Amino acid sequence: MAMVQVSGLRKSFGALEVVKGVSIDIRDGEFLILVGPSGCGKSTLLRMIAGLEDISGGRIEIAGRVVNALSPKERNIAMVFQNYALYPQMTVAQNMGFSLEISGMKKAEIEKKVADASEILGLNPLLQRKPSQLSGGQRQRVAMGRAIVRDPDVFLFDEPLSNLDAKLRVQMRAEIKALHQRLGSTIVYVTHDQVEAMTMADRIVVLRAGRVEQIGTPLELYDHPENMFVAGFLGSPSMNFLRGTIEGGSLLLSGGERLVLPSVPRNAGGELVVGIRPQGFAIGTQNGAKATVKVVEPTGADTHVLADIGGTEITCVVNDRVDFAAGQEIRLSISAAQVHFFDPVSEERID
Amino acid sequence: MTASGTRFEDDMVLVKRRRDPFLILLWIVLVTFALVWIAPVVLIAFTALKSNAEVMATSAFAPPETVAWSNFSGAWARGNFATTFTNSAIITVIKVPLGLIFSAMAAYALARIRLKFGKLLLLFFLFGAMIPFQVMLAPIFTLVNGFGLIDTYPGVILPYLAFGVPYQVFILHGFFKAVPKELSEAALIDGASHVTVFRRIFLPISLPVLAALLILDFVSTWNEFAMALVLLQDRHMWTLPLGLMSFQGQFSTDYGQLNAAIAMTVIPAVLVYMIFQRYFVSGLTSGAVKG
Repeated sequence: MAMVQVSGLRKSFGALEVVKGVSIDIRDGEFLILVGPSGCGKSTLLRMIAGLEDISGGRIEIAGRVVNALSPKERNIAMVFQNYALYPQMTVAQNMGFSLEISGMKKAEIEKKVADASEILGLNPLLQRKPSQLSGGQRQRVAMGRAIVRDPDVFLFDEPLSNLDAKLRVQMRAEIKALHQRLGSTIVYVTHDQVEAMTMADRIVVLRAGRVEQIGTPLELYDHPENMFVAGFLGSPSMNFLRGTIEGGSLLLSGGERLVLPSVPRNAGGELVVGIRPQGFAIGTQNGAKATVKVVEPTGADTHVLADIGGTEITCVVNDRVDFAAGQEIRLSISAAQVHFFDPVSEERID
Repeated sequence: MTASGTRFEDDMVLVKRRRDPFLILLWIVLVTFALVWIAPVVLIAFTALKSNAEVMATSAFAPPETVAWSNFSGAWARGNFATTFTNSAIITVIKVPLGLIFSAMAAYALARIRLKFGKLLLLFFLFGAMIPFQVMLAPIFTLVNGFGLIDTYPGVILPYLAFGVPYQVFILHGFFKAVPKELSEAALIDGASHVTVFRRIFLPISLPVLAALLILDFVSTWNEFAMALVLLQDRHMWTLPLGLMSFQGQFSTDYGQLNAAIAMTVIPAVLVYMIFQRYFVSGLTSGAVKG
């Protein structure tokens, strides 16, 4: 267990800079998730912490030790890869014991550690199998077992659930979270899936184009996104953004429609962007802004209504079963207690 | 029972009708080529077991009436096989594994260790495979002679190594490159050095390729003629193909013994093939990563 400090970290591939000065303090025992769209540099950042990529600039400290120049094995980390990367010719037990064997540990001790880890992960019946005889979820569990037996300072996960099917992903998500609570270890976890980030993380780091957009707990990020990128990235379906001006406690859209706002920013001069979660709308027939239904998507638990309001497409999530037809006119009002305001140019939050 | 039996026959007819004419054509081509390739083998096998009189009297493809095993012992003694066989065995047994180890290590380094001039080095290796060795015979003779290694085992083993390594590196490099990089990265994080990654991960998963290369290299080293002819002047250092050549010159009328000699030359290569072909199993990396 250890702290990881990343300061001013940079990485260039030739002329292309993919990590542009990232600084993160990862606390001891924290479950930190790096999230962002493809190509935002999150995997590269993780690989730099692992020592699999050279560092172009900045500094990485693990457990108070600068590891910039150390090889992966000297950093006392363990990594779980997206494609599992199990040693195909070894059994599950050999896979898990490989690192201990290399470190010269005694056979009896290796067996004990492997048994402990396989107990935690429920791998006992599979210990003598080869990776090719395992299902995807079992393979990923073996990969995690391989990490656990080493008792590393930091666990690194590189999109470990991306290759699993949806149901297994949900199950493994819970397992990894339970594992973290049990081991109390420091975990750095990379994913592009915001649901994974929201459900598992102690803190989330949202990255875009090699820069940190915001760091915070899942709910901090959800409730107080610093900018439109973070606001739009977290939450499913994504936040709706409506452009307009504030006039007497309501938002005046360019099309002339008006939406009554629960609050207004202190200095609301000129045009701004209002961010409203899809769950924050109420659909009625009498009061509110006029909108046209485009698509209705029932998910069973709730219904997603895609509608057009003054030329902007928005998504509303309603808990009831509704039977709107495409093209039908509805009235929208804001039911949420909180909406978010952003500067249309800088895309930064306005309070 | 009867009903199910009839149904089974019906199915057979159905299956027969569905035969793809292209497949039949392929089979015909395969059988034709197989016959063409088997003919000389049968010829050698039959002739090797016939007495000289029978060779002259019967058709070449007629099986021997009386098996003349004495051809083998006769050829072994007259062709000085004890010496040439030993020489061939020593050279091959040292050269083939050594060459494979060197090639595998070089290929691993080129494929998996970040080197400044890695690509250039690979090109350099490939360049070695492009030079026809016939062109190099005279320079190699001068070189080996300069080291005073003519008529010695190192004198042939070293040039053999030099000419074997490039194409093996080329093939193994391609294979190692295709191994998912996460596999070696996982091992590096697990605390393995490159030596361990090479020995514990890469060698086991490349067994099929190594077996194929071993067979190819064994056969070509075992049968190598031109370079051995130039570098081994002393009769006592001769390898099998050289012995076979002189045998052919000396006893050109004794076809039974000549073919027995040829058969004895070929048999070790066949044995090696049979032993190592079982490693040609595909899918050794299956299960390593999500496919």
